[in-house]
Amino acid sequence: MLRYALRRSGWTVVQLAVLSVLVFLLTDLLPGDAATVGFNEQADLDQVARLREQMGLDRPLATRFADWAHGLLTGDLGTSLVGGGPVGDVLAHSVAATAALAAVTILLLVPLAVAVGLVTGLRAGSRTDRVVSAVTLTLTSVPDFVLALLLVALFSLRLGWLPSTWVGADDLWWQRPELFVLPVVVLLARTVCVLSRQIRAGTITSLGAGYTVQARRLGVPPVRLVLRHLLPNAAVPGVQELARTGDQLLGGVLVVEAVFAIPGTATALVDAVQNRDVPTVQALTLTLAAVACLLNLAADLVSRRLAPRTEVLR
Amino acid sequence: MEPVIEVRGLTARAGTAVLLDDVDLAVAPGEVTALVGPSGSGKTTVALALLGESAPGVRLTGTVGVAGTAVVSADGPTPLAPAVRGRVVAYMPQHPAHALNPARRIGSVLTELARLHRPEAHRRQAAAEYAAGALRTAGMPDGPATLRRFPHQFSGGQRQRVALAQVLVCGPRAVVLDEPSTGLDTVARLRLAGELARLAAQGIAVLLLSHDHDLVRAVAARTILLDRGRVTDMGGTAALLPVRPPAALPAPATGPSPSSGGRNALEAHGLSAWLRPGRRGEVLHDVTVRVPEAGCTGVVGPSGSGKTVLARCLAGLHERHDGRLALFGEPLPVLRHRTPRQIRAVQYVWQEVRNSFDERRTVLDQVARTAVRLRGLSPQEAVRRARQVWERLGLSSEQAARHAGALSGGELQRAALARALLAEPDVLICDEITTALDAVSTRLVTEEIARLRGESRTAVLWIGHDLRLVEQLADDLVVLDRGGVVDSGDRRAVLASPRSETTRLLLRSRDLGSAAVTGPSTPHGVQGKEQPQS
Repeated sequence: MLRYALRRSGWTVVQLAVLSVLVFLLTDLLPGDAATVGFNEQADLDQVARLREQMGLDRPLATRFADWAHGLLTGDLGTSLVGGGPVGDVLAHSVAATAALAAVTILLLVPLAVAVGLVTGLRAGSRTDRVVSAVTLTLTSVPDFVLALLLVALFSLRLGWLPSTWVGADDLWWQRPELFVLPVVVLLARTVCVLSRQIRAGTITSLGAGYTVQARRLGVPPVRLVLRHLLPNAAVPGVQELARTGDQLLGGVLVVEAVFAIPGTATALVDAVQNRDVPTVQALTLTLAAVACLLNLAADLVSRRLAPRTEVLR
Repeated sequence: MEPVIEVRGLTARAGTAVLLDDVDLAVAPGEVTALVGPSGSGKTTVALALLGESAPGVRLTGTVGVAGTAVVSADGPTPLAPAVRGRVVAYMPQHPAHALNPARRIGSVLTELARLHRPEAHRRQAAAEYAAGALRTAGMPDGPATLRRFPHQFSGGQRQRVALAQVLVCGPRAVVLDEPSTGLDTVARLRLAGELARLAAQGIAVLLLSHDHDLVRAVAARTILLDRGRVTDMGGTAALLPVRPPAALPAPATGPSPSSGGRNALEAHGLSAWLRPGRRGEVLHDVTVRVPEAGCTGVVGPSGSGKTVLARCLAGLHERHDGRLALFGEPLPVLRHRTPRQIRAVQYVWQEVRNSFDERRTVLDQVARTAVRLRGLSPQEAVRRARQVWERLGLSSEQAARHAGALSGGELQRAALARALLAEPDVLICDEITTALDAVSTRLVTEEIARLRGESRTAVLWIGHDLRLVEQLADDLVVLDRGGVVDSGDRRAVLASPRSETTRLLLRSRDLGSAAVTGPSTPHGVQGKEQPQS
């Protein structure tokens, strides 16, 4: 297990290194740069060239990459070409909101999905299962923005119970839990459904498996049977699904951020691309990619522990 | 002595069918009682009734008393039944490998069961001691390294003993074992006999469900004969199951003796194999095996000796190996790099074949597909040929139309053989392909093998645990132990003058039923042999 963990982590480091190169090259391919955006149409080419020189954009690609990579390793992400402040600040600002949203969602998602999956899986085919499955399947197929708008129309506009937007909350959003309710519900709606289907399928499989039957015959009481003997096996497909969900959540769900005007990563990324703010785009992309890599690393390690047989025999 | 299990007038009905009809039996502590009958006679139904359990749709009536607790009454299972499970009666199912939880370390499950059933095992330390004790009684090493392993890290025979340890750690007063010798090689069977005798000596009531008369004769003091749900006879084992003369097997299906000086169809030279990358976990060491054209080489050895790894190397499935493989003198690469001709030429049939069939298509289709893919026959022609082989192996056309999920293990084993035969291979590798077969089907299979050697000059590598069967089939014999060849050469010569202890042990365990083997010294002598694979 330890050997596997080390090897798998080693690969993640390699992945991250390759990713940083890719991110740099791809952003370099973006048409135009900050120098052209900064001026209006009357600016002559000399002025643009001078500005480019100032910004260091005229140096060869390799030099700029070395510079950037050195900055990354020392924690300096560069200066935003648009706002003028350090990129780190932009990042901290946008990632915080998204991370908080994602964390709350995942904290609620796991117990909810496990509970729904177990209840439906243990009574597969019963009335409860049919009703819950119908609801989950329907919710899976409702697009996020439709659900978001419906909820806003009902709870914000008609009933006036919950705020419909984060506009005006500024930096104090973390003090106002009511802001989270609607976005989290929208984010949960689909993820709980997808994840609980996985757990349901896993539960049905391991309910009929020999080890569950034998544990029951050896006198293991029902609750313990489900939690200690069945769930570790039923959860395996769910863990990978959870990592994928985490990815999506941290990538900033653009639709949700747009509807509720949340100053999160997706919003920041779109803004940065529009402004050709290359350092910000690079930093945001790399951060999100790194988080995705780490989540998948965690998921692989957890599934390996849960289902140690995954090693392929050659 | 007061019996631990008392069954009176037990009847089981499924709809109008009567599965058990007025069964009476008793199992006393401190001895092994055998319940003997052909498959389908209701042995497992009886066993589950002792736990107050029945298959869906089966209704139980009668009385079943376990250590004074009524688990089945005239109205079926009583609410007291769950309390006796594990603690008073523990059941070990037929395929114990499936009974181990793949996601849990064995130590964790063992201590959990100890804490559940032994009031004095509340402390972690005490529970761990019970777990270690149960492993020891089941004939396993009991160190912390063993307890920290997952079930897949044990060999098949070891998994069976882990399952037995799970049963024993509950501290039951009665143990029910359902066909424990299925799929065990002769040495493991001998060891099992010793374990059962030791359990009985500890004062546990042991009920052994089996159709393996040799095993029953070796361990059971009393025997109950069950046929189609009725008890037909009961009494002392010696009286009910007299020892047959050992040569009572079907006529040997000897093929043509190999043409002397015939070419070697398949050859492995200095073969070593590892389980893990970087040459770690060696499971085969410098093994040399030859199968001449139209010849048959038998490979025998205790469980965990590397028989299956050898077969997988030859079939090209096990890539972590080193050494020279040759097919008619030409080098034979791993499966991924084999040409279609080489793939057709070397066919492999293994023991647990269910997963190799698509459950949603009919079996005959899948069997015929080999001939379409590897020999380029038209689908109609392939199906026609498939039917011929199918019938020679004793399978009906009704079974041919069924899906894989609806066939029994024995039927699928024969279907897998048919699938390989349709490739018209030059070399056929058979790895324990008769484990789920009864005597009649086994004879059909051996006849087919003999026919192949005679008509198609196919070379056969036969891996088997039944030494008597191997003796009938093989000309040459290779004895494996701990990944190395310990004896090899002409079959008669090897068996007449065995050079290794392993061969002598195999010979001794071949005659399990007819010789007294239950003395504690024999199993202990075996104990150190099968080291856990690390």
